[in-house]
Amino acid sequence: MSELRVSRALQLGMLVLGFGWLACSQQTGDATPTVTEQAVPLAVYVVNYPLQYFAERIGGEHVNVSFPAPQGVDPAYWSPDPETVAAYQEADVILLNGASYARWVGRASLPYAKLVDTSASFRERLIPLEGTVTHQHGPTGEHAHVGFAFTSWLDPTLAAEQARAIAQAFTRVRPEHEADFRAQLAGLETDLRALDARLATAAARLENTPLLLSHPVYQYLVRYYGLNARSLHLEPDEPPDPSTWRELQELLAEYPARWMLWEAPPLPETARTLRKLGVESRVIDPCGNVAAEGDFLMIMQRNAAELESVAPAASSASGS
Amino acid sequence: MRDTLYLAWRYLRYHRIKTAILIASITLIIYLPVGLNVLVGQSAAELTARAEATPLLVGARGSALELVLNSLYFEADSPEQMRYAEVSRVANSGLADPIPLYVRFRSREYPIVGTTLEYFDFRKLRFASGRAMAVLGECVLGARAAHALKVGPGDSIVSSPESVFDLVGSYPLRMKVVGVLEPSYTADDLAVFADLKTVWVIEGLGHGHQDLASPEADSAVLAREGNTITANAAVVQYNEITSENIESFHFHGDLAQHPISALFAVPHDDKSQVLLMGRYQGKDEPSQIVRPRDVMNELLETILTVRSYVVAAILIVALATLATAALVFLLSLRLRRREIMTMVKIGGSRSSIASLLLSEIVVVLASGVVLAGGLTLLTGRFGSAAIRTFLLS
Repeated sequence: MSELRVSRALQLGMLVLGFGWLACSQQTGDATPTVTEQAVPLAVYVVNYPLQYFAERIGGEHVNVSFPAPQGVDPAYWSPDPETVAAYQEADVILLNGASYARWVGRASLPYAKLVDTSASFRERLIPLEGTVTHQHGPTGEHAHVGFAFTSWLDPTLAAEQARAIAQAFTRVRPEHEADFRAQLAGLETDLRALDARLATAAARLENTPLLLSHPVYQYLVRYYGLNARSLHLEPDEPPDPSTWRELQELLAEYPARWMLWEAPPLPETARTLRKLGVESRVIDPCGNVAAEGDFLMIMQRNAAELESVAPAASSASGS
Repeated sequence: MRDTLYLAWRYLRYHRIKTAILIASITLIIYLPVGLNVLVGQSAAELTARAEATPLLVGARGSALELVLNSLYFEADSPEQMRYAEVSRVANSGLADPIPLYVRFRSREYPIVGTTLEYFDFRKLRFASGRAMAVLGECVLGARAAHALKVGPGDSIVSSPESVFDLVGSYPLRMKVVGVLEPSYTADDLAVFADLKTVWVIEGLGHGHQDLASPEADSAVLAREGNTITANAAVVQYNEITSENIESFHFHGDLAQHPISALFAVPHDDKSQVLLMGRYQGKDEPSQIVRPRDVMNELLETILTVRSYVVAAILIVALATLATAALVFLLSLRLRRREIMTMVKIGGSRSSIASLLLSEIVVVLASGVVLAGGLTLLTGRFGSAAIRTFLLS
């Protein structure tokens, strides 16, 4: 009986040792499965339609481009809700226009490594906005909320630079598709060069013809093609008030413009009143958002056609 | 042999208190130096694990230890600040991915860590509830901070002023909690994570206020001259960022000149690491780059020196205790003289009696060794968890 107790005591000791050893030898393995990402298209999020178009042209089947801004809004002033920002956070690449476009980006938490500022290469050539309000309050002193003109893609040479930045970003993430990205970028650049040539011809025929711009959104187009233009602040879907008409008449007295370029077709009443003042309306769509019909290049070609329609009339007017 | 063991067992069982004291003394003598060694080793591993997982740390020139403690453990005073432009410098080098950090403010006693989303991936932090911050004014809490503050997604917390006398300093910012992290048993559990820009708002480098050009702000306007508006102190500044006022939030000056306290540089490979370190070796270089592992190892060397003194002291005590135990056995032999004589008279041989006494000693010693071994194994298994719990509590 007593021998049995000794034996049990020894067995208990062995058991304690055994448990201790087992506890010590337990390992927490982190068996993370390796996922092959190469076959999955790159998830690309953009902040405006031109970037969506460029990304789709360059990336082709290797990318899946998302542009969540609803149709009909100006993406430059649109703000996504936190859930949409969360979708941006999940993207592989986030294409920004830069030039203070889409100010919501500055208020959102986006992964630094995924951000691609497509206008970074020509930052020093961005056009600062005029008429910025400077204010002063508190101990920080005088300050202004400065910004830049942002419709950079209206200058086809800058658009091509943005396209190259996109191709570089895609190549960095998916180097195995570099050849495809290069070939598709070359095709896009050819189209942009053709657009540039057409716009340059129309602009050359305009010579120094004065133009009115309904809104200050054509800065890069005006600068690159050397247009003689002045900007107003008219909305195509809102009738100008009497004071605006008076100011316009005063302006026309010193600046005899016969054409006004609009972002979208103006109200018929507005167009009629302008015609009475000797000003014809033409539409140059900046194409910041997805158009009801046609893609970016088609709309830019349509813009070029509008400018061409001004050019012969301008030539004959200056000839007479 | 069985008879000898049986007699030894009966003797020890009869004198159970004396036996228990002897076994406990021997167990502690063995366990204290060995267990302490294991525990200190694990503490060192716990402390250096975070440093090991952080390849390179860039900060302003100054104390490397302060920089590491502030950036890795959110302890110590804020190191010298550097410019956010340093983040672009590292990114543009093509050698490493930068993760900026700005650890300066607190919400009660919990550090507010201004960073970017990459931090969560870098530290392999997972969300127990909610999501990552998406817009200005949102924050994510570590598990223990959320538990202590009794908040979760949908609740709010307020940043604390740096000083109670900070009358002209930044306004406390009410931040919306949008996520809570799973416990990681690191300093991250006690942190409040916010976007870097949100921390700049806390500092007053960015703010939201009434549109000074609007008629509603007339009472706050001192003067309007052309495109310049001067406001007085009555201008309404927001101390909470909501969907209604977020559009009014803006930053002054060049963001590249805004402050950060450090940045993690995650090199693409070993060669990139060496090249990046080389770029910070210039004499006029205002920033320093350190390997947190090296800094922590240096600190631990000092701690380990102290440990060796403690172990030496324990060994001396152990020798004294062993001598006492030997004395106990010798005195016990003297006290048991009559018992031994009885065993001789009933025919017990000298070798049998010697083996009986030896068995008693061996059983006591073996029990002590086995118990000390068991305790050491348990320390090895559960020491890390205990250290994490006690270090963070």
